[in-house]
Order: sequence, then C-alpha cells, then structure tokens
Amino acid sequence: MIGLLSHTLVGQTVQAPATGCQVTPGKVTGLCQAFNSLHIPVEYRTILPLLVLSIGALVLLVISAVLPKRSRPGLYPLLTVIISGLAAGASVFQWIDVGNHAATKAIGNQIFYDRFSVLFMLLISVATLFGALLSDSYLQREGLDGVEAYVLMLLASTGAMLMAASAGTIMLFLGLEIMSIALYVMTAYHRRRAASGEGGLKYFILGSFSSAIFLYGAALAYGATGTTQFDEMSVFLARTTLPNDGILLGGMALLIVGLGFKVAAVPFHFWSPDVYEAAPTPFTGYMAAVAKAAGFAGLFRVLLEGFHSQEANWRPAIWLIAVLTLLVGSVLAIAQRDLKRMMAYSSISQAGYVLIGLQSASSQGTAGALFYLLTYTFIIAGTFAVIGLVQGEGEARNDLGAIRGLGRRRPGLALVMLLFLLAQAGVPFTSGFLAKFYVIAAAVNRGQYALAIIGMLAAAIAAFFYLRVGLLMYSSPEVDETKEPTDGAALAGLRPIPGFDTPREPALSQGPGAVAASSDGDGAVALLAPPEGRVEIPFTVGITLAVCAAFTIFAGVSSPVLDFAKHATTYF
Amino acid sequence: MDQYLPIVLLLVVALAFAAGSFAASKLLGPSRPTGAKTGPYESGIVPQAPVAARFPVRFFLVAMIFIIFDIEVIFLYPWAVIYHQLNTFGLAEMAAFALVVFVSFAYLVSNGALDWGPVKKLARKAPVNLTRTTTSTVRRVPRPDQLIDGMSPRPVDSEPEPTAEPVGAGAPEA
Amino acid sequence: MIAALLATPQPMSVHLAHASAWAVFAVGAVLILSGALGVVLLRNPVHCALMLVITLFGIALEFIDQSADFLAAVQIIVYAGAVVILFLFVIMFLGVDRRERFMREPFRGQKPLAVILGLITLAEILVLSRVGNWSTGQHGVAGDLNGPGENIQKLGQSIYTRYLLPFEMTSALLVIAVVATVVLARQQSRAPSELTKDEQAGVAAAAADKAEAKR
Repeated sequence: MIGLLSHTLVGQTVQAPATGCQVTPGKVTGLCQAFNSLHIPVEYRTILPLLVLSIGALVLLVISAVLPKRSRPGLYPLLTVIISGLAAGASVFQWIDVGNHAATKAIGNQIFYDRFSVLFMLLISVATLFGALLSDSYLQREGLDGVEAYVLMLLASTGAMLMAASAGTIMLFLGLEIMSIALYVMTAYHRRRAASGEGGLKYFILGSFSSAIFLYGAALAYGATGTTQFDEMSVFLARTTLPNDGILLGGMALLIVGLGFKVAAVPFHFWSPDVYEAAPTPFTGYMAAVAKAAGFAGLFRVLLEGFHSQEANWRPAIWLIAVLTLLVGSVLAIAQRDLKRMMAYSSISQAGYVLIGLQSASSQGTAGALFYLLTYTFIIAGTFAVIGLVQGEGEARNDLGAIRGLGRRRPGLALVMLLFLLAQAGVPFTSGFLAKFYVIAAAVNRGQYALAIIGMLAAAIAAFFYLRVGLLMYSSPEVDETKEPTDGAALAGLRPIPGFDTPREPALSQGPGAVAASSDGDGAVALLAPPEGRVEIPFTVGITLAVCAAFTIFAGVSSPVLDFAKHATTYF
Repeated sequence: MDQYLPIVLLLVVALAFAAGSFAASKLLGPSRPTGAKTGPYESGIVPQAPVAARFPVRFFLVAMIFIIFDIEVIFLYPWAVIYHQLNTFGLAEMAAFALVVFVSFAYLVSNGALDWGPVKKLARKAPVNLTRTTTSTVRRVPRPDQLIDGMSPRPVDSEPEPTAEPVGAGAPEA
Repeated sequence: MIAALLATPQPMSVHLAHASAWAVFAVGAVLILSGALGVVLLRNPVHCALMLVITLFGIALEFIDQSADFLAAVQIIVYAGAVVILFLFVIMFLGVDRRERFMREPFRGQKPLAVILGLITLAEILVLSRVGNWSTGQHGVAGDLNGPGENIQKLGQSIYTRYLLPFEMTSALLVIAVVATVVLARQQSRAPSELTKDEQAGVAAAAADKAEAKR
C-alpha cells in the first residue's frame, strides 16, 4: 500500500509502462538496466482515501505494539475517527480533482479514478467514522475495547474502497476478500456471546463459498473476453458478437451470484439475519452500510461497465432478483421478533430498491441507486446506534420489547428513532422517500411498470413493521411507572441472574413486568418486562445520532445530495 | 518437462522406500501385542478415557508468523529475479511490503507470540487457590485455559449481584 | 446420453499436443479428483487433511503442465507445506482427530438434495463440454509464455508493474490474518452466567471456602 511511495523515489518523471527491454536470462546489459528500468506511474491522489485508511490501520497497530496494554481506552477510537475524517476530506479533495481533470485509469490500469468511485470512497469514509464513534461506547460497555476492532474496521473499509474503484475483476476480488475477511472476524468479535462466534463461522463458510463462486465467474468471463479489465471487456463485447456465448453468460451469472451474496439479494440472503443478529451491534450497522455499498459498487462496475452491451441478458435476471428481494425482505421482516433480525430483513428489502436502480441500466437509475446508498448509510448508522443503546449490557435484550415505552423514557431518542424508521418506510420529507421515488421513477422511465408497482407494494408492506416499531415505542408499558421496579423485575428484565441456570420466565413471574407481559392486549408481540428507565446516551453516540438525523431530513427536503449523486453517474 | 525427471525419480524412490520399510517391518519384526503393551503408559494407573492433547494458543500465533513470512518470501523470489530491471522503484515496493509485514510481526510479538515465559509466571496467575483449604479435601485445579500466560483472561466484570462470585474471586488476596 | 457426451473428442486434446503433457494432465486430474473425493468421503479429519495434500499436489502438476513452474513450486510450498499443516494443527488442537459421527442431520433430506444438485451440476458441465467451439476473446493481457525470458521473470514483471496495487494490497490481507488470529485465538473469559453448571458449582464452593476462611 505505501509501497507506492516509490514514485517519489523514482522522481516525478512519468515513464510509459514498461515495454520491457529484451531480457535474455542471465544476460542483462548495462544499457538496458539504466534506461529501461521497469516502472509504472503511481498516482497517489487517485487512491488517497484508501492510503489514509490503510496507513492509519498500520499506525494503530504500531501504537498498540509500543504502548502498554490498556493504557488509554479512548485513544484508538479517537485516532480512528481522525483517520476516517481525513479519508473523508481526501475524498472531497478527489471529488474536486476529478472535476478539474478527466476521469482516468490509474496505477497500472487497476483502478478507475472517476466520480463514481470517489462517491463511494466518501460514503465508506463516513460509514467508518460512524462505525468508530458507535463502537467506542459499545466496546467499552462490553469490555471488548482494544485496537483490533478499529484496525479491522479500517482495513475492511480499505477493501470496500478498492471494490468501488476496481477497474477489473482481479482488483474487485482482492477488495472483496479484504473486506469480507475483516467482516467475518468482526462478526465473531464478541467473545462472550456464543451467538457471535457462531454467526462469524456461518458468515465465513458461506462467504468463502460465494467468493469462490465469484472467482469462478471471473475466470469464465476472462475466458470469454480474454481480459479481466472492465473497459476492455466492454470494448471487446461491443466489437464482437459471440455466436456461442455460453461461457460469457455463465461467467456473468456467477459474478452476479457472488456479488449478490455480498449485498444479500434474495436467493443469496440466508446468511444475513443470522450475521446481523450475531455481530456486535455497531459492527452490524457498519456492515449494513459498507458491505452493501461496496457490493453494489462491484455490481455496477461489472454489469454497467463490463457487460454494458449484454444488457438484454442480465436485466431480466436482475429484475427477478429485485422482485424477490423486495417481497421476501418485506414480508419476512414482519415475522421477526428480534430487532436486529428485523433490521436485517429490512435491509434486504432496501437492497431491492437499489437493484431497481441497477435494473434500469440508465444514468437516472444509477443516480437513484447512489443516492439510495448514500442516504441509507446515515439511516442505518442511526438505527443501529439506537438499538445499541436500548439493548442493554451484554446485548441482553434485542427483542422488540426492549424498545417499548422508549417514547416515555427517552423522548428525544424515540423521536430520532422514529425519524429513521419513517425514512426507511419512505415517508415524505425524509431522505428515504426521495431515494425510493428516484429509483422507481427510473424504472418507470425505462418502461418497467411491473417492477415499479412491486416496489411500491413492498414499501407498503414494509411500512407496516416500521410503523409497528414506532407505535411500540410510544405505547405504554402498562406498568405503574410511579413505583420503582423491584429488584426482581430489574434483574429479570436486564440480565440473566448469574450463578443460576434459570430461564427467564419463572423469574419474570415474580416482578411487575410479568403483568405487562401477560396483560398485553394485542398479543402480537411477546413482550418481556420493559427494561428499567435509564438509557444513557454516550457523547459519541449522541453526535452520530444528531448528524444522521440532520442528514436524513436535509437530504429529504433539499436537492444538493441528489445532485451530488447525479454527478457521480459518469463512469470512466 | 525433462527437468522434472529427477523429481519423479526421487518420488518413486521415496515411495518405494516407504513401502519397503513398512513391508519389511511387517515381515521381519515379531509382533506379539498384549493389552499391557498396547495401552498408554500412565504411571501404573489404568487409563479410563483417552485424553485430548491441548496446545497452548500461542502455537497459532507462531504459525501465523510462519505463514506471513512464508508468503513474503514467495513474493521476494520473482522480485529478486527481476530486481535489476526494477531498480529503486522495486526496492521501494518491496520495502513497503516488508514494512507492513514487519508491523504485523511487531504486533504479534507484542501480543506474546514469542513470549514463552517460565512456569512460575504461569503459577502466579492461577485464578483459584492451589493449596488445600480448611474445609476442602479436594484440591481445586484451575481450568487449564486460565493458566495460559500472555493471553491471560480479562478480569471478569464484577457484577453488582451478590448472588454469585465472578470467576477468579476464589483466590485469596494474600 | 452421458456416454455419448463422453465419447465426443475432448477439445483438451487439441491443446495438449504432446503425449507427455497429456500424461501429466491425466495424472494430475486423477490426483485432484481422488484427493477431493477422499477429503469428502473419509471419516477421520486427519486423513481428510492428508488427502487435501494429494489434491494440491495434483494442482501443482497441472501448473507444471501449463509451464507455470514457479506457481507449481509455490503451490507445494505454501499450500501443501504450510496451509495443510495449519489445518492439521487446528484438527489436533480441537481434539477432533478421531472418527467423526455425522449420523444426526440438522436438516432432513439434505443428503438426497445434495446428491441431486450435484448430479445436475455434473450434467451441466457435461453439456457445456459437449459444446466444443466456445467463443473466447483475444489473447490474455499478461503476455505469451513462449516469448523470451523465463517464466518467473515474466511473473515478476507482471506483478511489480501492472499488478503493483494488488500486490501491495495483499499485505493488507496479511495484516487482517494476523489481527484475526489474535482476536479469535484469545482466551475467552466468560461472564458468570455463561459458565457451565459444574463451573458455577466450583465457583460457589470457592466462595464458600473464602467465607469460611474469613470466619
């Protein structure tokens, strides 16, 4: 990564890529050595955010190796926030830089330097920033603080940026692996939760399998086109008509499957609820934003750049996947009793809308999809911030009951959560509404009426469970709140009683919370006792929530963010 | 592919030697097993169940060091072959790669990968009193995984409930 | 039908003009497949890991067949030499180096489904191989192996110029692997509620001892 520093050593003179002097083994002439040394121009500005993140990760590692253990608990998150802030600044610089110059390929033609990739670099930097902010209080609460979480997060972001900028399947696969392997470990990070390790293992096995499928697809695509570069593929396919395109179609299908797994599109989504539930909550939010964005960036690169001329072949496949994703995600989310699982299905359903944008295969669709991913990053970071707060120590309560009565206990927090839920449901004056509107409009413009209608139908179904959570926050816990909950109730609701292998239900029946559970009128949600009133909001989480909420409203009522996304649709 | 002929020959010789050794020992060696001979030696006590061997976790860290340097060396080889063509550019490339690998190495060492301390250090961290107490006749042996140094267990967060003592609280402060 | 499919001349024979290349390919293929079958079918995990070595060795043979000598050596050194040893290491560490029982299936009907899907995949591959004249693109970008210079020089020229960025980013993967090892191999300290009953009893008894000692 920092090896590219060599550019400065060699000097600013940019030489043409090595034509290579004629090298016969064992006989390299001095002249050849002096004048035909192999090197390629390395344009650092094209990978600036990526460099910042990866060097930052190394710096964190060095600091942790030098400093005594647990000398400063807040140091690593602080550094991570600074690093990702710098990366965000670097991507803003890039945005201006690309505007001034033309989009290019860079560093041995391995990456594209265009606004599309810069937008993703910004998105990923911001998501990393939120991830670090949210992780700090969570990891300290769970006693997991250490440098590893932040190093993994920074490196996962590096991989995600590589995916977004990749100009060929080799770079794309490498980015995919860097991101995925870091995410597997992050999922299994909570050592004391058995579910965490289990989820990490599931993610690892299924993820490795999907990586292998992706690789097979890349190999077939290489066989069919003779190149791994997207732009060369597209040139080749535009020039040539393959009479017998079995390999090409096979490669394309496998690439779609491999990347579809990463974005949890429906026939490939089975890992998603388990992993979302298993991963530590702030990591879940980070994963939902970054992995999805990077996976979609890869899909856009492959399908819209590499296989642009094969539109007629892949659009029906994406159509089917989009429909399944929308419907299955929305319908199954209703049946969930666990907040994180519900959000997993919700995010599956949200991915369906981005697929609508992809299916349109137009710049309007791409703009809509990019806007969707951008806004979703903020929404999902905020949502998981709230879930991380209400779930209590040791992730004791992830069920819907944990959020019950939040409106009374923390009105501000409940209001913000309501905003995020409404945004995901697509209510006007939130960013979610505009995002859904634009992708559906793109579908309509391409004559995809059925897809548009299914999208709206899925939104209506999804609105049901978003609103149910919203109502639950403001419904009364039906407990005499004036009275302090007795010890029994507090214990039963909050944490399993240590030292006893007692299931919760018998313990519950002693506290007043049991009354709430049994006298719960609607019976739709099996509720445990509401947790005690105090939900402390750490400073870092508060900041995140404020920023996310502000952005969600801002992007919902004004156009700059959408214009931003529209500018990013020009590929290399 | 002629240059592989010696390797193939070596392979054949190795296989023949291994097979021959097995066959010879089977044919020539006397084999009169009894129960006492085949059983594991346990200081005269009849073994009751097979015991799974336990490796310290630090083996993994050492294995990791091996792997990363293995891969670095693999990359070094083609680099060295064309080093004269690459010049300073190549030097900087490989220096950066090696730096990253070195940072990982330093991190591993700081985590105790090479820290094979003496036994007394292990004993000091025993979470449960190793001596007999006044009331117990059974000496409580700490769980093996709590004895491992370098990766010593975090102090368990002391829970407010008085109903249970956290692990490790059994040790007297003395 | 399958017999007819198999009977058609394989396009592979066109590329492997020399009989020796054919022989190496055939031996490699047999080793790969038998090793893979062994990994799946054998019951003892240690034997499975050793069968994996055979598969990897077969792949090294195929590399040699493609004149990728260096990759063949890497295949042996890294995979057979290091990775499989790590596998064995983990198997021993977890104490599963005995015959595993797979009698209890978590999902009913998993096995027949797997067999059916496997057969479908096999049929697909056979049908694909029946379609002989696959349209492919231009020659690979990495250059011709038959040109001047040795295999390894070409590899080096490719890696350290065109694929410089992927090469450097590989180091990120190594860092992740190291950090992951530390995270996952770290000892688990469990909350009191997560102990087994025996351990809880032990803790309680230790607490009682302590109380007794105080009195």
